[in-house]
Amino acid sequence: MRLPLKWRSVAVALSLACGLALLVCVPAAHSQADDDLDDYGSQEKAEFYWSRLRYTSSYEMSGYGYGFGFAGWSRDYPKADRQFLMALKRLTRIQMRSTEQVVSLKSDMIFNYPWVYAVQVANWSFTDAEAKRLREYLLKGGFLMVDDFHGTNDWQRFMAGMRQVLPDRPVEDLSDSDEIFHTLYDLGERFQVPGEQYVNTGRTYEKDGYVPKWRAIRDDKGRIIVAICHNMHLGDAWEWADMPEYPEKFASMAFRIGLNYIVYGMTH
Amino acid sequence: MFATLFEFLFKYPQAVFARGELVLASPRPQWMLWALIAAAVAGLAVLVGVRHRRSPLAAWRLAALWLMDSLLIALLLLLLWEPSIAITELKPRQNIVAVVIDGSRSMGIAADRATREEQAVAALKSGALQRLGELYQTRLYRLGAELTRIRGLEELGPPSAPATHIGSSLEQLVAETAELPLGAIVLLSDGGENSGSLPRSALEALRSRHVPVFTVGFGSPDAAHDIELEDASVASRALAGSRLVATVTLRQSGFRGRKPRLSVSEGGKLLASREIALEADGKLQREELTFNVGAAGSRTLEFAVEPQPGEQNRANNTLTRLVSVVGEPHRVLYFEGEPRWEYKFIRRAAGDDPQLELTSMLRTTENKIYRQGIRDPKELADGFPTREEDLFAYQALVIGSVDAGYFTPAQQQLMLSFVDRRGGGLLLLGGRQSLADGVWGGSRVAEALPVVLPDAHDTFQRVPATVSLTPAGADSLICRLVDDPLANTERWRKLPYLMDYQDPGRAKPAAVVLAEMHVPQHPAMPLLITEAYGRGRSAVLATGGTWRWQMSLPLGDNTHELFWQQLLRWLVADAPDHVVAAVSEPLLLDAAHEELSAEVRDATYLPAADAHVAARVIGPGGTSSELDLAPAPNAPGRYQAQWTAAAPGLYVAEVTAHRGAEEIGRGTVAFRRLDGVAESFHTGQNRELLEQLAASTGGRYLEPAELPDIARTVPYSQGGITVRQLKELWNMPALFLLMLALKAGEWLLRRAWGVV
Repeated sequence: MRLPLKWRSVAVALSLACGLALLVCVPAAHSQADDDLDDYGSQEKAEFYWSRLRYTSSYEMSGYGYGFGFAGWSRDYPKADRQFLMALKRLTRIQMRSTEQVVSLKSDMIFNYPWVYAVQVANWSFTDAEAKRLREYLLKGGFLMVDDFHGTNDWQRFMAGMRQVLPDRPVEDLSDSDEIFHTLYDLGERFQVPGEQYVNTGRTYEKDGYVPKWRAIRDDKGRIIVAICHNMHLGDAWEWADMPEYPEKFASMAFRIGLNYIVYGMTH
Repeated sequence: MFATLFEFLFKYPQAVFARGELVLASPRPQWMLWALIAAAVAGLAVLVGVRHRRSPLAAWRLAALWLMDSLLIALLLLLLWEPSIAITELKPRQNIVAVVIDGSRSMGIAADRATREEQAVAALKSGALQRLGELYQTRLYRLGAELTRIRGLEELGPPSAPATHIGSSLEQLVAETAELPLGAIVLLSDGGENSGSLPRSALEALRSRHVPVFTVGFGSPDAAHDIELEDASVASRALAGSRLVATVTLRQSGFRGRKPRLSVSEGGKLLASREIALEADGKLQREELTFNVGAAGSRTLEFAVEPQPGEQNRANNTLTRLVSVVGEPHRVLYFEGEPRWEYKFIRRAAGDDPQLELTSMLRTTENKIYRQGIRDPKELADGFPTREEDLFAYQALVIGSVDAGYFTPAQQQLMLSFVDRRGGGLLLLGGRQSLADGVWGGSRVAEALPVVLPDAHDTFQRVPATVSLTPAGADSLICRLVDDPLANTERWRKLPYLMDYQDPGRAKPAAVVLAEMHVPQHPAMPLLITEAYGRGRSAVLATGGTWRWQMSLPLGDNTHELFWQQLLRWLVADAPDHVVAAVSEPLLLDAAHEELSAEVRDATYLPAADAHVAARVIGPGGTSSELDLAPAPNAPGRYQAQWTAAAPGLYVAEVTAHRGAEEIGRGTVAFRRLDGVAESFHTGQNRELLEQLAASTGGRYLEPAELPDIARTVPYSQGGITVRQLKELWNMPALFLLMLALKAGEWLLRRAWGVV
């Protein structure tokens, strides 16, 4: 049965209105969320700030949450970050801010936070200015830890972004004896840390990332400036550490790796 | 002219009145003279008083006439008592007068178409020597590095002696003539004493023999057109690759306003140079030169100012200095109480400096310490050192954000001894648990700190602070980011803000504040404060946020690294080793004698009074010799020996100390002998020295034109064979003229007043 003309018109008008509203309101909602995440002006001062890198994804979407507007940089945010901070506070003498923050490459404020964490980096891309800033950040003494990207395709897309920043530096596999695995805990023996999917599937891998890769990029003095955790999902382990079904051994390993990486970044 | 007139009026030369004693030679009692004078004066007064009633003159006029008559009568009475001068004179033909002529190279400088030596010879030949010879036995000597007797002026030869040692030469002369009647010394010289001043022993030797020295000065005090380097002050010891600042002092005449280049070079290689503007004639001018001292070894630096056209003496445009550059890395122990960014970036800065070996301990957890830069796994495995041998193996100690209570009292005492006795450098950084917030003010280390910490809590604030240099900081190498001092101050002013600051309290009186912090609504606070303490040094850097300079300045900007490397180098640079060798003169200018010494300290840096200390000296051409150093009296741990540098060149002495079979340590020192240099400097007449020599010995300074009359001045000496003479004064023309003046004056006054 066909609707009368006037009801069709109303339906079209309503659809258009909804679409317009989405175009206006969703970015507005995201802007608000963005403002919530731009917390440089936080009053709590500390030596260490857990700084998650927000980047422009290669899908040119930026946002927070799942579903429409989902962007990779915020995967597991903020619970993973918050739970990790609890471990940091409990297990080290690092004086840190109790809440996480988000940093971006759009301003020089990032230089005030020499340790940064980024996830889903297969999705990242940089403008020329952002790539230059990240490069300077790393070469001046900043430290970047990347996590939660899996398989061959993700690796290639990650490297596409990385080559914008550090086109001249090789990526190498870290050995068990590397200092980064012994700064706080001795992590000579490690295993793949899976994401939450392990609970339901029993799989430690995602996509074709069967084997965990502990990799790094070094500066001219041999110091690690980019620590690459490929084929693992540490963020999920931190996020779901309080979930009874999620194995403790994975959560413990993930916390230890994170703590070691932070201590390394603060000592090298 | 004046001397002639004086002698005409007073019958005798000035020296007679200067050295003689006024006496009354008459056998009549002196009281009679005063009584007669009193009676005459009183009688005249009565006479004047009686006549005053009848006299048309006013009282004051009568008094004036009375005074003049009284003086005349007193003078006449005085003459009756035979006034005389008693003076000691050399007996003619029974004394020796030594005529010493300076034969050093500076006497070869020409002025008025004749060299100084030629002028001296001409002055002697003008009759002075002959007249002296008529009254005394004259002996001629040539003065150079040593004194040489010559038979006649023809044996003088050209002035070629490489050095002048007036004092020691005169001392030699006095010693050689100890058994002879030396009446006086006449010294013809420009006063260019290469040792700088007259040795006290020489003056005492001359005074003890009562031998006056009559000095005749040649040459003008300043060359008309000359630039002379007076001094170049630079550290005698440095770490390889260090930047040094040398302060060069110079003086010029005739080139005001010119802009020559001042440079420093080593082995012909230019290290640094810059243009300077010459200031007023004769003014002492100080200029700085900053340069990198280069690799390890004994460095002979040459400081030079560019010669100017028309400059008379170019040899004094260059000065040589020795710097001992140490190549072994110096060890720094850094204890940090919590992971923080300052730690990371300090490690990175130190890691780029091959002269620094940074060993660090970081409390990562309550019970874990992360060690970096250790030489072997056992080093510091038990925590912060508790034994002197372990801590004293480092040259500097850096304490980060850790409270004093973490260390035991014994460890705190150890830190104090580290600075005081070992001579190490101590640096405390700002932080949450540092300085006052870490209760360091109540610790044993507080005594060594350059500040008095505030009696407060929460002195550490994570609030941005800007920085600036103080005037002392502008001069300090620690804070020198660029060579030009003004540009350096500006560079500091523009540095990114610090991430935090801590109130360090106030600087102690002997401390130096090099930099300050500025926080809104707060007065300026000291940021970097340093102080020498005991044998070592201490510093406070009241922030944990300099790392922001590294992260905020452009990529490739080395400000942060440079600052930290210079600060750490300052901490370690002068930390002594177990054996510290030294010489009395790093540069021997036309001299050979050297005193070698060594300070020897054992493993705990206590003086080792029972060591066997030996030196091996390697000289020019690879010559090598060995000698033992003997313990110095009243100085435990100090050993010394004499050495003669036989030839010009570089000498390196390696000193080794043993206690039994065990080696305590080694030290090296270098020195250089330079010949033909001394005479090129201070070539102007040193009139002050010549006048001082004459005045100290009872002689007199004479101009060359006065030399022909020297024979009339020399006799009045107490040296040699003398006789006491009475010189009559009653027939002095001056006295007759005075009496005539009194009488004529009285008559003129009477006439003027109408009573004649």
